[in-house]
Amino acid sequence: MSSIATGYDLSASTYSPDGRVFQVEYANKAVENSGTAIAIRVKDGVVFAVEKVVTSKLLVPGANRRIQIIDRHIGMAMAGFLADGRHLAARARDEASNLRELYGPPTIRSVADRLGLYAQAYTLYSSVRPFGCSAIIGGYDKDGPALYCVEPSGVSYGYNGAAAGKGRTLAKNELEKLKFSELSTREAVYEAARIIHLVHDDAKEKDFELEMSWIGQESNFRFVPVPDDLFKDADQKARDALENFD
Amino acid sequence: MVRGQSFDENTYDSDNTVFSPQGRLHQVEYALEAVKQGSAAVGLRSKTHAILLTLKRSTGELSSYQQKMFRIDDHIGIAIAGLTSDARVLSNFMRRQALAERMVFNRPIPVNRSVSAIADKAQVNTQEYGRRPYGVGFLVIGQDSTGPHLYEFSPSGSSLEYVAMSIGARSQSAKTYLEKHFEKFESSAYDDPISVSILKQFAPVGSLEQLIEHGLHALRETLQQDKELTIHNTSIGIVGPAGSHEVGVDGLGSFRILEEETVDPYIQALPPKEAPAGTNAPAAAAPPAPAGDEDVQMAE
Amino acid sequence: MDHFPTNWGRPRNDLNDAYNTYPLHQRPYNGPKDTFADGVQRTQQPIVTGTSVLAIKYKDGVMMAADTLASYGSLARFKDIQRLHPVGSHTVLGAGGDMSDFQYIQTSLDTLLIEEEITQNDGHSLGPSEIHEYLKFLMYGRRSKFDPLWNSIIVGGVKDGRSFLGYVDLLGVTYEAKTLATGYGAYIAQPLLRDAVEEREGQENSITEEEARKILETSMRVLFYRDARSLNKYQVATITAAGISISESQHLSTEWSFAEGIRGYGAQTQ
Repeated sequence: MSSIATGYDLSASTYSPDGRVFQVEYANKAVENSGTAIAIRVKDGVVFAVEKVVTSKLLVPGANRRIQIIDRHIGMAMAGFLADGRHLAARARDEASNLRELYGPPTIRSVADRLGLYAQAYTLYSSVRPFGCSAIIGGYDKDGPALYCVEPSGVSYGYNGAAAGKGRTLAKNELEKLKFSELSTREAVYEAARIIHLVHDDAKEKDFELEMSWIGQESNFRFVPVPDDLFKDADQKARDALENFD
Repeated sequence: MVRGQSFDENTYDSDNTVFSPQGRLHQVEYALEAVKQGSAAVGLRSKTHAILLTLKRSTGELSSYQQKMFRIDDHIGIAIAGLTSDARVLSNFMRRQALAERMVFNRPIPVNRSVSAIADKAQVNTQEYGRRPYGVGFLVIGQDSTGPHLYEFSPSGSSLEYVAMSIGARSQSAKTYLEKHFEKFESSAYDDPISVSILKQFAPVGSLEQLIEHGLHALRETLQQDKELTIHNTSIGIVGPAGSHEVGVDGLGSFRILEEETVDPYIQALPPKEAPAGTNAPAAAAPPAPAGDEDVQMAE
Repeated sequence: MDHFPTNWGRPRNDLNDAYNTYPLHQRPYNGPKDTFADGVQRTQQPIVTGTSVLAIKYKDGVMMAADTLASYGSLARFKDIQRLHPVGSHTVLGAGGDMSDFQYIQTSLDTLLIEEEITQNDGHSLGPSEIHEYLKFLMYGRRSKFDPLWNSIIVGGVKDGRSFLGYVDLLGVTYEAKTLATGYGAYIAQPLLRDAVEEREGQENSITEEEARKILETSMRVLFYRDARSLNKYQVATITAAGISISESQHLSTEWSFAEGIRGYGAQTQ
């Protein structure tokens, strides 16, 4: 990034001479500094998992969730500035609600598209900054399970396995090994837990808390937190697997 | 702003719509500094109570002490650190939200939603040109159908739930104390019958009195060398059932602020600072023995 | 700011632009409008209607009954319409009056539930008293705009160990009671319900589910005999701490044969 501090990187409404919008790239940096968030789309559902970095041991365990619910059947995990993520989630709920009023329960794609347009508008003007947050948005609609990722640039791409945040490269490596068309949602819960534990760097980073939500047959096609017993089992198995690995 | 002239990192800090190359928002980080300019506030939560403690400043002998604690609704109260005028705007907003909830649903507003509402409001001020982030941090306590809660609100637009927290000047010292001791008050006496029976000579574990004692301890850590907690500079805010020193608390345990004389029994009960040799701690050292007696009486 | 490019750089209307060469039909009119120029008429009457809803408190919670008819005037137009509607996991709504307005209320409460409960997911759910309070404002707000939602609604439910039974109608009138009935039932069934429930003053907690069902069945039967807009098919909703259950529609057994023995009816004409 040789163009840093040449003055072409101070506004979202400015291109650099080689055609880049630096402010958007910097926003991506904010995402890259955050705890990892992943999601897996399998044949009959979607599973979300987040590495919630515990910044203080005074925090109430289990509170301060980073996976948000957008509609009965849609959820969103965020990586980056939490406050920006809540802003995006609020917008996603509004979009979902509007779509529902006109057309009935919205498809995941329609909500992700709308959210992408919204995020993109924040890359156009010097009077705003882009969102320092990526939103992984997924759920189960009339066409089955669906998963998208909306980035600070405003793109919203569909995925079978999505990852954002600090450990995304390693997580994507792991995700690529999965057979999405064969896994059940329950199995995907174990995979998701394993990947989050794997990408967390014990040596360098603070403590973290695993957080998972899912949607599928077993959750009655509602987007909800993974039930306690399953969550604990997946969390434990993931820890065990890591220890054996070491 | 002179664009493209300074090769200094500082170019990225004059405007809240600009990310630094590291993906940081300097204006927001400076706003967090504004919170640290304010005097300290401490918050703690047990299974039954949530409390706030604040250190009030006075600008001179002729001025009164600066109010640091505000009531939002019967069941919610806040302590502030930072720009008081910003706090007034935000607390006003919280009050309106609380009233709207009572109007539309006839129920007290859930505490987390009250805090999230101002956090979402604050986020907008970190993203749009021509605004500045709020320069104030809150500790919010409240009780609702899910029990007592403690939240921290900060200008970055975050709201997080804590067992104990501290904001403002030298709050790190209070945090260090709280991190060391929070397990003692986080769980209540009623979880552990043994501690109830054994520790009769102290304030019962998990009691309001014990919680306040921990709170005062933490607050004291934020004091400058030569300062002491007095009834004039200390306020205590409480939600939860009445303590043994309290009178006239309603059955719901609504939010109340203790000041002046009503704070006295708690300050009296506070053991004096473990004074490092040579330090003078005259005021608090006065009645250490009767303090213990008082605790026995209030144990039930 | 005038956002219509076709208006840019030219006078705004025909009065001072009589010789404008620009085709008139392409230029939108954006002068002042008088909403009341043609007068407005709001809803004057309900169209497709449901009749009575009955509800009582009993030992385990609240029981509610409504038949499955939606009438078009005096025509029994739709005979399989559900008029008992669950909202969340603690509350059931029963409605008489205009069925399309009721459907609108269902939709708006569904949106409310998603906004206030499902997406928040923070352990705070809306109970019957909150729903009732909300409906009170919805109904009163609409009637104050002279555009009422033409319903009378019973809200019943159980939350945190407390049962709730409340009424709200198109005028924004509300009250709570141990027994409630709307529509024709307010005249015919309410005394029966009171007899059965309020007679046991202070002991309504002793009414068993079976007894409650019996009380409602008897009242529904009387209503079917006397209310010309009713049907002999009805549903029963029970709301207890365990949750909501709304029965399949059940048939009312009725007895008509005695008429044959009365002079002036049946075969005997003299």
